[in-house]
Amino acid sequence: MNVELQINNSVNPGARFVSWAPSPCRIRVTNPSGVTSPTVNVQITGTSVAGGGAVVFRGNTTGPFSDSLTVPVPITGTSVPFFVAGKFGRPSVNNGDVTIEARTGTTLVGSVEVMVRIRKNANTLTPGERDRFVSAFARLNNQGAGRFADFRNMHTFVSSPQAHGAPGFLPWHRAYLLDLERELQAVDPSVSLPYWRFDQPAPKLFALDFFGVSDAMGTVRFSATNPLQFWKTDGVQGINRRPLNNWNPATQPGPNIITEEKTLELGTQYPSFRARMEVNPHATAHTRWGGSISSIPTAAKDPLFFLLHCNVDRLWAKWQRKFGRFDPAQAASYDRNPPRPIGHNLPDTMWPWNGVTGSPRPPTAPGGAMAASPCVSAPGPQPRVQDCLDYQGSVNAVSHMGFDYDDVEFA
Amino acid sequence: MNKKRKTAKSATSARKAKRPARGALSVATSARKSVKQRVAALVEAPLAVCENDENLQAVLNVLRNKNEPVEVRLAALQALQAASFSVVEFESCRGDYIATLRKVAEDPDPELRQRVLGLLAREKDGFAQKKLLEGLKNPEKALLPPEKALQLLSYDVHAEAYPVARAIVSKPPNAAAKREALRLLAADATAAPLFEKLLRDKDELREIRQISASALQSLKPEKLQAHAKELLLDTSEYDDIQATSLTALSQFGDDEAIGKDEALLKSVDRLSARASTKVKQSARRFLSKYGR
Repeated sequence: MNVELQINNSVNPGARFVSWAPSPCRIRVTNPSGVTSPTVNVQITGTSVAGGGAVVFRGNTTGPFSDSLTVPVPITGTSVPFFVAGKFGRPSVNNGDVTIEARTGTTLVGSVEVMVRIRKNANTLTPGERDRFVSAFARLNNQGAGRFADFRNMHTFVSSPQAHGAPGFLPWHRAYLLDLERELQAVDPSVSLPYWRFDQPAPKLFALDFFGVSDAMGTVRFSATNPLQFWKTDGVQGINRRPLNNWNPATQPGPNIITEEKTLELGTQYPSFRARMEVNPHATAHTRWGGSISSIPTAAKDPLFFLLHCNVDRLWAKWQRKFGRFDPAQAASYDRNPPRPIGHNLPDTMWPWNGVTGSPRPPTAPGGAMAASPCVSAPGPQPRVQDCLDYQGSVNAVSHMGFDYDDVEFA
Repeated sequence: MNKKRKTAKSATSARKAKRPARGALSVATSARKSVKQRVAALVEAPLAVCENDENLQAVLNVLRNKNEPVEVRLAALQALQAASFSVVEFESCRGDYIATLRKVAEDPDPELRQRVLGLLAREKDGFAQKKLLEGLKNPEKALLPPEKALQLLSYDVHAEAYPVARAIVSKPPNAAAKREALRLLAADATAAPLFEKLLRDKDELREIRQISASALQSLKPEKLQAHAKELLLDTSEYDDIQATSLTALSQFGDDEAIGKDEALLKSVDRLSARASTKVKQSARRFLSKYGR
């Protein structure tokens, strides 16, 4: 007898990625030989390589998860649904380092390799994770000639009112990061966007083999084996990033940047939280540097920008979980009134993914629609502000955007 | 009714968020407070900067005033920078902000000058670009060292910067200036022969050769790919130049052609046995990519 396991309800091997939020799965008998009863009890478990990820299961949309699940599967080939999630605290290191196995008794009747793909603290990545990420980023940029150029062009002076200084700041950047992450995953599916915890020292991140070491002038140096040595944007080579006021980001937290704990105390209502966190920690983290990251028109030239914003997004995710602010229908989850500029109201579609150009939107819309994911359907090709709040699908399962943070549990 | 109450609560919440910033602003602009107190207060100030013109002018005055301690002026600059990230609110402040930056660009304090010129250069400000270029042509008028001026001009490269950069490459005042001139020239399509020459010159600094490899990969990728293969076959070549070559081939090369290039793969195999640990690892990853 054999069974087929479909992860994220898909036979596509590219869909075999899970996070802390439950992924809908199916199991069905593909070869009933040797079975005489109308249904067969199949036990589903996960096995991990040493140091690899781990998964948990449940049979329904609600209820507790467990390390194994037994489901009766009809031999007619009809699919039976179940749910799999990464076991919190056990993210994968490599693609396929967890195997979901299906057994009848002790006999293995089906298996698939999956990855618990989670956004991690950049300072904790293994050398392998680091090298894959850096390589994917360098390829996506392809010296300024690759797809990354669209991302660089999405974040400029002209486009900045779409993304800053108003309530859409956090949803817009969440969509922006996800779009980039999906493009990185198209280069290497084992990659997820790491975050820079700017309130902590990051010796492994600010190293020659990772995001480089700034010299006195702010020119970032890399090792000869680091592909970021070929980084180029706007036709110009290299990265300028100078820590100010004798700050060493490898050994010290960012000066005057408020801690994670303080950030989570900035308010229980979205308007207050967003307005304050956009300044500190967000803008403060940008402006502890000289160089391109310290100004909106040039910030996205530096790949560190995306790790900085990944941490901003993680802080929002933590705040959302702490106060239960995932539901767009709940007043405290967003800033509803008075009407905000276009692109900042819950039902508004967001530029550039909506392709709308001309005042009050920017004159061009680089990059086209949001990159699709083989794992989830949200937030769709033209995301609205309201599509970017319930990122884990905890209010509505179809809202699951397919990413999670290593220290933010499923709500 | 209920909805109205919620709306009012939301607006109040946003207003409350600015209260601590207003208090901080009065400390930050008070000459009676200590430097430490004022610098700390300026970290809290950005939310209040654009609330009204009085607040904005108070912070701009601190930045402009040469009699203020430079630490406070630098902190005022950072507060304005942070406020500028809230672009919708900052829009009304922008004109005065840029005008003030232009005034401070010629300040006697070198750190303040450098930061302000950096901010203006990233805004592609014509005034700053003109000053930087003038300084490169006439060092007596220079507001910044040549290497920094070149770095800042690279935010918006104009053709008129190329002759100055070429002159610096041929007669560099220091190693950093040569390096930054080359980075700027990496945008100049006619500079490919210069980069080829520098890449193959074993007497050049390795950093210059690595910059040349990167520039060439961008300007003439086929040339760099050919040079990279030759550099890998050269047993007398430096490890780090070979590592850069390997990285260029691995990241940007034609995988199919490389997989069939036996001489190249043998050379990388030799490298994986004799080079430094990191280069060895890189060589092994390269070989494994091509099934070796």
